[in-house]
Formats: sequence, structure tokens, C-alpha cells
Amino acid sequence: MFTPGSKYFLGLTGLSLVSAVLYTIFVNPSDIGAVALFGLLLAGALVAGFSLFTRDGDAETEAEAVEAAAYAPTPSFWPIVFALGAAVVLLGVATHPIVFVLGIAVLVGGGVEWTIQDWAERASADAEFNDLVRHRAIGALDYPGLAAVGLGVIAYFFSRIMLAASKDGASVIFIVVATAIMVFAFLVATKPTLRGKSVALVVTAGALLLAVAGVATAISGERSELVEYAEADHYSKTHRECGEEEGKYYDHEANNTVSLRSAVLATVFVEDGKIRAQMIGLEKDVDTITVPRSNATNILFRNLDEEDHRLVVNLGKAVNDETGKEEELGTCTQLAGKNQEQVLTLNIKKPSSEEQGYSFTVPGAEGEIKVVVP
Amino acid sequence: MAIIERPGSDTTPAVVTASQSLGAVKRPVETKGWKEWLFTVDHKKIGIMYGVVAMFFFIVGGVEALLIRLQLAAPNGTILSADQYNQMFTMHGTTMVFLFAMPMAAAFANYFLPLQIGARDVAFPRLNALSLWLLIVGGLVLNASWFLGGAADGGWFMYAPNSGPVFSPSNGVDYWILGLQIAGVASLIGSINLIVTVLNMRAPGMSLMKMPVFTWMILVVQFLLVFSLPVITVALVLLMFQRSYGATFFDVSQGADPLLWQHLFWIFGHPEVYVLILPAFGIISEVLPTFSRKPLFGYPFVVFSGASIGLVGFGVWAHHMFAAGLGPVSVAVFSVATMAIAIPTGVKIFNWLLTMWGGKVWYTTAMKFAIGLVMLFTVGGLSGVTHSVAPSDTQQTDTYYIVAHFHYVLFGGMVFGLFSGFYYWWPKVFGKMLNEKLGSWNFWLMVIGMNLTFGPMHILGLQGQPRRMYVWTEARAGEGMFNLAFWNLVASIGSFILAVGVLVFLINVVYTARKGKASPLDPWDARTLEWLTTSPPKAHNFDRIPVVHHLDEFFHRKYEEDTATHTMKKIAEGEDLVRAEEEAAEKDIHLPGPSYWPLVLAIGVGILGMGVVYGVPIMVLGGAIVLFASYGWVLEPSVAEDIDFDPPSTDGSTKEIAPLG
Amino acid sequence: MSHIDPVLTKEKAIDTVTPVKSSRRRIVTALAGVSATVFLTGCATNAPQDTFVPKGPNAKIIDDLNMIVFPIAGVVGVIVLALATYIFMKFRDKGQAIPAQSHGKPYVEITLTIVPALILTVVGVFTFRGIFDLAETKDTELIINVTGQQWWWEYDYPVQADQGISQPIISSGQLVIPVGTKVLLRETSRDVIHSYWIPALNGKKDAVPGRIHLLRLEADEPGIYAGQCTEFCGLSHANMRMEAVALSKEDFAKWVAGQQKAYTAPAAGTLAAEGETTFINQCSRCHQVNGIKDANGKPIISAPDENVYSGAAPNLSHLMSRNTFAGAMFDLVNEECRADVWNAKSEEFGAKYLAGVSEDCLNEKDLRAWLRNAPAMKPMYADPSNLEKSNGLYRGMPNLGLTEDDIDKLVAYLLTLK
Repeated sequence: MFTPGSKYFLGLTGLSLVSAVLYTIFVNPSDIGAVALFGLLLAGALVAGFSLFTRDGDAETEAEAVEAAAYAPTPSFWPIVFALGAAVVLLGVATHPIVFVLGIAVLVGGGVEWTIQDWAERASADAEFNDLVRHRAIGALDYPGLAAVGLGVIAYFFSRIMLAASKDGASVIFIVVATAIMVFAFLVATKPTLRGKSVALVVTAGALLLAVAGVATAISGERSELVEYAEADHYSKTHRECGEEEGKYYDHEANNTVSLRSAVLATVFVEDGKIRAQMIGLEKDVDTITVPRSNATNILFRNLDEEDHRLVVNLGKAVNDETGKEEELGTCTQLAGKNQEQVLTLNIKKPSSEEQGYSFTVPGAEGEIKVVVP
Repeated sequence: MAIIERPGSDTTPAVVTASQSLGAVKRPVETKGWKEWLFTVDHKKIGIMYGVVAMFFFIVGGVEALLIRLQLAAPNGTILSADQYNQMFTMHGTTMVFLFAMPMAAAFANYFLPLQIGARDVAFPRLNALSLWLLIVGGLVLNASWFLGGAADGGWFMYAPNSGPVFSPSNGVDYWILGLQIAGVASLIGSINLIVTVLNMRAPGMSLMKMPVFTWMILVVQFLLVFSLPVITVALVLLMFQRSYGATFFDVSQGADPLLWQHLFWIFGHPEVYVLILPAFGIISEVLPTFSRKPLFGYPFVVFSGASIGLVGFGVWAHHMFAAGLGPVSVAVFSVATMAIAIPTGVKIFNWLLTMWGGKVWYTTAMKFAIGLVMLFTVGGLSGVTHSVAPSDTQQTDTYYIVAHFHYVLFGGMVFGLFSGFYYWWPKVFGKMLNEKLGSWNFWLMVIGMNLTFGPMHILGLQGQPRRMYVWTEARAGEGMFNLAFWNLVASIGSFILAVGVLVFLINVVYTARKGKASPLDPWDARTLEWLTTSPPKAHNFDRIPVVHHLDEFFHRKYEEDTATHTMKKIAEGEDLVRAEEEAAEKDIHLPGPSYWPLVLAIGVGILGMGVVYGVPIMVLGGAIVLFASYGWVLEPSVAEDIDFDPPSTDGSTKEIAPLG
Repeated sequence: MSHIDPVLTKEKAIDTVTPVKSSRRRIVTALAGVSATVFLTGCATNAPQDTFVPKGPNAKIIDDLNMIVFPIAGVVGVIVLALATYIFMKFRDKGQAIPAQSHGKPYVEITLTIVPALILTVVGVFTFRGIFDLAETKDTELIINVTGQQWWWEYDYPVQADQGISQPIISSGQLVIPVGTKVLLRETSRDVIHSYWIPALNGKKDAVPGRIHLLRLEADEPGIYAGQCTEFCGLSHANMRMEAVALSKEDFAKWVAGQQKAYTAPAAGTLAAEGETTFINQCSRCHQVNGIKDANGKPIISAPDENVYSGAAPNLSHLMSRNTFAGAMFDLVNEECRADVWNAKSEEFGAKYLAGVSEDCLNEKDLRAWLRNAPAMKPMYADPSNLEKSNGLYRGMPNLGLTEDDIDKLVAYLLTLK
């Protein structure tokens, strides 16, 4: 069963396996040497595999192959694809890595297709049978590959459409599309007469529609809120202004975050220009909030006033190592509009003391809430 | 399935025969010795191998359990360190659930499901072999951790964030993830295989409602697996990325909520409980009618209660989380749903009892184990009802009361069911009877050991001893003769009695293999189709595919009702029926050939998994083997003989799809 | 615990499944009787974590539910098992003919479905009420933050003027609460999931990092109630214990005053004063003692987050007012004094507890062993060579390599932390 060519390559595979394992154990598992040896192993295994499958050196099949070769080979466009791949690779070297990778993909794909077609044509003298042979060999590569590309394209276009549609619109689109697919699948499954051309027609039409809509929405861009979110960038330091000023960048869409419901230690309100606070489990106003030390703690800020406000936490002063100057410590939330909420997550490592009291304040509102860290 | 080449006409030049048309590595043909087992795709051989593997891991898990009980026999135990103890209980749970209970159920399903529905094999024989090898590879990866820096130590539930890289720094959890992932793939493949088999390959005349209950329960279990395994797969992938590639799915400092893991785990984990118990229910639903000489009482009720247990089982996962802070509304909903699931379970108990009512009950060892299941499962079920009451559960969860509960359910329920199956079907599989006397010892030692081990745990738990503690202290054990120290000691002694019981079974197996007496073809006066063939069955199972007219077809071929007195009259012996089948044997029986590739592919997957721990080169190697094996699999030729086409060609075509390739 | 016996006795009823010969039947009946008696008296007395001895209204709600579901389960169990036993005996193969092949009677099936459903509906109604009663938090009188960390609990009492708490109190080892007061624990965790459980006061509730879970406790009378972490939390899970101390309202006020007392440094020249220096050099990196000052009179603020992965270490101000240390794994008082406090009558309990740990009562053996080599006493991730994945930070207290001399001084100093 092992043909002469395959024996050589199987030997090579075995040898490189041994040396690769030894190298990994005794020298270094993660340098270029290991990669090279494993590469050799992979290459050897693949060539050995092909050698086995092509039955090279098998007297009986060689006789068939000779006979098969007497027939004129069928026309093939794989050489063209292969050449195109080579050109794209060169282009990629000059331009962009993505083009290069694409070229490699085309090159490898074309090469494999070409090899297998050539091999299959020598399988026997029966053209129909050879075609079957080719399909079986290539199908295992073709279908998963094409399916991956197809799914990627669908996912990309669909995501563009969903990002461009309004929030409610996206829900509607999702429901409609999902229902349509479900109904269609149900029809196909239950009505065998539907199969064939009509199905192909519907699928093609769907694919076209998706492609057109996808391209259109990719060009037109995402919906306005998303663009705004991206610009607002909650975490950018440059956007953090803890005073009374009206920042240009803030999250106008800030709203109740459900997942934080069970994790909020206290809520600070601004109402009628005054600040007040409530702690979880105690349904009355407090003027001091005790925050556990060294543990991330969420404080919810809710603005009930017309004007925009933000919550500021003052954590005393410390000498800045770089500048040598004493600086105020603390941080703040984004601005919140009327009836909006913002969360401040604090992890305070140092306890508060008489000299260095911590507090919550809201610029533009009266009062302060003391913060005690034991 | 495979495409097979029908020999062409003489006019085609250079005929390529089917067996060598594609692929140079030929299919193994007529293998003998060890090859017979390694490359087999025969569901019966695979079933036996499943059984052996599961039994091996049962012993491994049992030894782990004994070490745990030794450690806890006295206060401040020093047999194991804290670290070793944590590994021990993690691996005990994991091994027993994934490497004993599920494979043992798979062993029974593989062996008997095709026989019970009158099929020659499962729908995808090579995939069946792949399931087995993947399971073995998964089990090896999981247990390799013992020798590679320590096993997983986060409990079988592996709650985040304790399973993260900082809190569990050894590679044990990585092996755990990969082992379970691989074993999960095995189960998923197996379940799809069995679903297709049941739906498509039943003998003519066998409608779904004429199917044996064991097959029914296995079918329900496979659906549970298909819907629950993807969830644990996702959870394991998340955890793997967290541990190996720096993802933060369960990292609280990055804003994650650790309860995500609990939800994912229990959405899988609760249906998993029914995956474990339903096969045992199926087994005793065969055993009880056989030895009562009566059909199962309320067959449709048993079938539908099994299905509804499976369905409702998906809606009760949060009862494992009553103390996790879900909020009163969710707790109340899940509490009620959990109570609801007790109803179909109760229905089953009553049906089993009523099956025996008015019967002619024959107390063989198989029957004793079946009755043991009914009794012990009732106890476990009722303690289950007590913690469906969520406030009570907040006192009970994570204490030994829970340990007592699920061991009554899983040991008293599942394991007793499986042992009942051993004694019932042993003559079918090996052609020899297990010794009944040793069987009786086996049963009684297990009953006594089981009650001594897990009975006291009710008291331990209700009096406040939590689970998963590597030591307990005298200070919290209370006073009096029967304090917690006493009950801990009793439980430890009981566990060794239990172990002796299991040992007696192994002795029985060895004794039977050497000196056991040959079994008659129908030793139990059985009821279902698997007895309508020789023991052990031939490779092709049935000489003639039976045509089914009744539920309990085999019984109705042996007995006829006297229309006047309504009593059953024997009209044929089992031997006569089998001989009749042999005489009318079908000629063109096509069986799948053995294959190398399931084994090679499984090994490749194992190496690929190791790559997650040991780096990309190993992963590349594993991937290459997987790719190579997949190609070998796809291009594997058929070994069909010219006459083997099924059905024989009528239109002169030369190529066709063989359903059993 | 006698009221749960119906459930427990039925396990033993399994042993009655031997009805093969009548002589054996008698033995079995006798055995069943004996085992039933064993189970009737078979529970420990005075087990500190017994779930069937409620000592407060929350635990009582649960106990009331138990009183419904356990008897029901017990009665059903006895009926089913008795029925099963009857069937096994009655329908043994005595040579009777093969019975008619009847496939069941639907009306029996339907009855047997509806009856359990009705029983469970009753249980369900009571369960519903219990769940919502236990979730009540509106009338809370005292709040305590409870933070779990591998492998101890931190209790901090937020500033609450109406309870006399004007500065935050931070403690560990023992949770101190006033009796007859609705106390609300706000549980969270700094690392993995833990679970807070004082069986005599309420069921358990997990402490999950990043979340705050609420658990109500209320004790009816003064005393110490034991508990244990019940969510597996890693290496030393078994050693993560807790004790809840209930004091009368007056005693609680005294305790609060004691905890807010200012720090007094030990008199110069004493062994304790040398111990303070050792403490500042060795222990202050992680352990805070409120008010302690260095030689220049500057307050010393510990920085446990720079040494410990989870970010905190027990605050040791007023250490000697507690009876336990190291996550309540060890007693700070010796056995004699411990028994004295635990067994005190409820009217004497407060005074005895508030006396704190005197020199005579100190459990020096364990405390010294702990200071000498903590990881040897309690399994922890504190081996410096094994901290690669936690950025070199400890999980637990490392071995500080103190000399016996240092330990003498430290013990003398710690005794001053009243």
C-alpha cells in the first residue's frame, strides 16, 4: 500500500517529527528552529499524503495512468488562476500585506485545484469516474473553504446593515429576515417540489439583495448615535473635565445599565440644585458614604435637574512624582442630562483620615457627601 | 455513508475496483487480534470498549472517593493536603460524571439500541468509533494532569473567577477544559449518531410508540445532549481563552460578572443530571417488566414523563444558584419549576411499582438492583423536593445534605440501574451468566455500603457540615454519642463496604469469564428484540431483519393469549425463534468495513488540545494529523464485495450511495 | 432535630427490602426498628451549625417552611416505600400463571399525576411567601459591609449616627451585632466567590466580586453563632470560618465605643514598645492599626494592595477585642476562656465577651506559631517562588522569618491592642 515516493516522504515526516520534538524539549520550543522543523514535518506529511493518494509508483495504476494519459486532457482554467495569484502576491509585496495574503490564498487555492484536477484525470480511463474522483478529493477543501468565505461575507454585509439602521429599525429587520428565512426553510423542507431552480433563484436574489444593501450601507456609514459614541469616548483622558464647564464630548445616550443594578453601593442624586445620597439597603438620605478599601465599588449618579451635571469625587492631595508639585486627586463622571445616570467605579487604596477627608461634589449644585474609607 | 463503486461493465477499460479506487491506504479488511478492536466500527465491539473504559474510570473515581472519605474519617485529617484534597474532589466529580456515567450509558446505548430496534448497526459507524476514541483521548488528557503538575482544583463546577489563571495557577484547569471539550465533542457526535439511528433505522413495523422504553430514554437523552452540550462548549471556550490567551470574560476588574459562568454551566449542568439518570430509568423499565412477566404499566406515561423531565430540565438550572443572589422573583420562579419536575418523576416511580402489581415477580440480581433503584431514588427524589423550597435550600446548599441527595439519586439511582443492566444483559453480550450468588453479595454489600455512606450525610449536612472542606473540626461537630464525628466515621466505613461490593462484582466478572456457565439463548424469558438473535449476537445482528407487530415483540412471538381465560400460553421457546431466523437468513448483508481513521483523528485532536498548553508547534502537529486523518477518512475506499450492494442493483447503474459505508 | 425524623428513618426502611423468608423478615423488622431508633436519637446535640435550631426571625421563616416540607416528604416516602415493600412480598413468584398483559389504566395514571401536583402546589404557595419575606430589606436598622477575601471576612460598619457609629469601624474574625435589631449585611468579595452562612440566623448568600448582595440577620438573644464559608473558594476554603456575636443593645453600644477608642502607644521602654517598632517594620506594610505613628509622629498608612493580590489584610486595631484570628481558623483565647465565653448564660455573656483577651486568656501557642510561619498553619499561596501568575503578590500571609525575640516583642505589643 505504501508507494516508493510516499515511503521517502513518510520517512522524512517521521525524522522531522523526532527532531522537532527533541528540539522542542531540549533546545527551545518557541524559536524559529522549532517552527522550521514543524514546517518541514507538515510539508513532508502533506507531500507523503498526496503521494499516497496519487498512487505514484503503483504498477497497476501506472498502467491505468498511461492509458488515461492517452486521452486528451480537459481544458482547465486553474493555470490562469495560479498565474493571477502569483501576480497578486507580487503586487502585495509592493503595496499592502492584505493583498499579499490574498495572493497567497489564490495561489495556494489555484495550485491545489490544478494538482488535483491533473491527478484525477490520470485516475482511470473513465472520464465520468475521474470527475467523481476529483470531486471527492477537492470537495473536502472546496466546500468548507467556500462556506467560510461565504459566511464571512454574509456576516460582514449583515453587520453593516444592522449598524446603519436605526435601533428600532435593526430589530425589525432582524425579525423580518429571520422569519423569512425560517418560512423559506420550512417550505423547502416540507414541499420537495419546490427544490431546484426556484430555490436557487430565491437564494441568488437574497444574496444579491444582501450584497447591494451591504455595500450601500457600508458606504453610507453607521447610524448617528454610534458615530457620536465613538467620538465621545468615555475613557479618553482628554475628554475628562471635572468642572462646571459644558464639555462638548459626552454620552448623550447614557442610561440605565441593567447589569449594574445589583452592584451599586450608593446612589447620589442632584435635585433642585442640591446633592443628596442613598445607600443600598437603607432607604433614607445619608450624608456620609462608607466605601470599602481596595475594592472596586460602583457609585451611581442620577441627575434629576434640567441642567447637565456631573459627579466629582475628591480624594485629597498628593505630591506628583514627576512634577514635584502637590496635585488634587480625584475623578469624575461624564455629564448627565435630565433623568440620566452615570456610574463611577472607585477603587480607593488609601484610607481617609481627619486631615484628608474625601468627598463627592457636583459642580453647579450645593452640598457635598462625605466619603469615608476605613 | 460512502460512495461505493459498483463494478462496471466489461466495455469500460481499466476497471478500478471499489476497494482500491481511491486512496492508497486501503481499508483494513478482516482484521484479527488487537486490530480487531482498534479499527472496528462494529457497534457491539465499540459498546464493549465503552463499557471497559467507563469501568476503568469508575474504579479511578472510586479510589478518589475512598481517599476523600479516608481524609474525612477523623477531624483534621492528614492523609491529603488541602491542595491534593481539592484536586481529589474535583476529579472525583468530573471523572464520575464525564468518564464513568456518560460513557457507561453510551456503552449500553451503543450495544443495545441497534439490537432493540432491529438494525444492523448505527447510522454512522465510523463516527461511532470516533466518539469512542475521542472519549478515551479526552479522559487521558484530563487525567494526564495528575502527572503534569497537578490536576484541576476548582470543583467539577469550576466556578469563575476561582478557575482563573491567578487563583488556579497550575495547568490542571487547562487539562480539565481540554479533556472535557474533547469528551464533549465525543458525546455530541455520539448523540447525533444515535438520534439518526433511532429515527431512520427502526425495523419495519416498529413505530415510535412500539419502541422499547430503554431506546426511548436514550433518544430523549441524546436530544438533551444535543441542546445542552453546545452551552458548556461555549463556556469552556471562554474559560480557555481567559486562561491561555488573556481574555477577560470572567475578570471582574474588567467589568465582567462571574455569574455568567454559573448560568452557562448550569444550563448545561442541569440537563446533564437527566442525561445521567434517564438511561438508568430506561434499563430498569426493561428489567422490571421482564421479571414481573408483565408489560410496563402505562408505557405512554413513562415515555412522555421521560420526555417532559428532559424538557422541564432545561428550565430549572438556577435552582443550583438559590444562594447566588438572583433576586426573589427569579428564585421563586425556579423554585416552582423545580417542584414541577418532581411530578413526572413521581409518575415513573408509581408506574414501576404498578408494573410489579399483579405480576409474577422473579428476584434475580438484576431485579434486585432495579428494585434498589426504585427505593433509593425515591429517597433521593424526596430530599430533592425539600430543597426545591428555595429558602430551605439556602440552609442546605453546599452542605453534605446535598451530597447525600445527589448520591442517592446518582448512586442509588443511576449506578444501581447500570448494575441491573450488567446482570440483565451480561448473558446477551458474553453468552455466559454472571454468578447469581456472588451477585446477591454484590447487591447487598452495595445497598448496605451505599446507605451507610450517604445516609449519615443527611444528618451531617442538616447539622451544618459544608461540602468541599479538606478538614472538619471537632469544635463544630457538636456533642453526644451521635455527633458529627461519629457520622463522618460511619460514612467512611460505609464507603469501604461499598467498595467491597464493587470488588465482588469485578470478582464475579473474572469468575464468570473463567468458570461461568454458558447461558441459554433466552435466560430471563425476555420481551424485546435484542433476544431474537444469538448470544453474543453475530456481527450482522440479525439473520433476517425482524418485522414488528407489538410492543415487546419478542414476548409476543413466544406467548399467545388464551382468549377464554386471558392467561398467557407459551407457544414457542426463544431458541426455536432464533433457529427460525437462522433458517430464513438473508443473503446480501452489507456491513461497514473497519477503518484506521477514527483512531488517528482522535489522537490528532488530543495532540491539538495539548498544544493549547504547550504552544503553537504542538498545535500545528495536531492540526496536521487531524487534516491528514480527515482526508484519509473522506477518501477511504469501500470494502464492499461485488455481491454486497444493498439493495442489489436493478437498473444497471454502476455507482450508488451505500448507507452503511 | 427530632422533627425531621420521618425523612431520615425512611432511608433505613430500604433495609426492609429483604422479604424473602419469614424468619429473615423478623430479623429485618427488628433491624428496621433499631435503625429507626438510632435515627430518632441519631443527631448531635449542640452542633454549632445545626440548621434546625433557628435563633432569629429569618432562620425561623426557613424553619417554618422546613416544618411543612420535611414531614410531607417523610410521609410520602414512608407510604411509597411501604407500598413498594408490600408489592415485593405479595407478588413474588409462587408459581402463579403468567399474568394478563395489561398495559395500564389511564385513570390511575391521571390520579397519580394530580395528587403530587396538588401537594406541591401547597408547598409552592408557602415557599413563595417565604422567599419574599426573606428578601425584605425596607425596615433595616443597622448596615454592615461584609467583604470576603481568600480566606477571611472583613466587616466594616459604615458611619451610622443612630447606632452611635460616628467613625467607621473595621474588624474581622467576628461579626458583632446587637440583638433584636434588623441587621443588613452588604456582601461582596475582593477575589473569588465566597458565601456567608450563619445557620442559626439565616440561610447562606454568596459574596460575589463586583456585586453587592444583601442578607438580613437578626438574633433573638446574646451569644456566639458559628458559621462557615460555603462556596468553594480555593485552597483554604475549609479554614474560612465565621462567628457572629450577638450582644444586648447596651453591650453593643459599649462595643462600638470600644472600637472607636483612640490608639494609645505602649509606654516607652517596655517590651511592648519594642514590639511596636517591630510591628511598624514588619507588619505595617499590610496590617493597619488605626492611629499608629512612626518615630517622626507621622501616621502610618499600610499598603496591603502592594503586597497582597486581593488588596487587603485584616485591620488589627482592637485585635484583642476579638476571640479569633486568621479568618476565625484559630481562637485567640485559650480553650478554658473560650468555653467560658461560649457557655456563658445570656445575661452574663456580654460582660464576658467585652472583657476581651487578657494576657492569661491568650492562646499563645497558636498565635506564636502563626507569627513564626503562617503558611505552615493554614494552606495559602504565600510561597515567594510560586507567585508568577499573581505578579509576585501574595495570597495569604507569608512566612516573615521572624526571630523568637521578635515574636516575644510582637506578642507583647499585640496584647496592648485592646
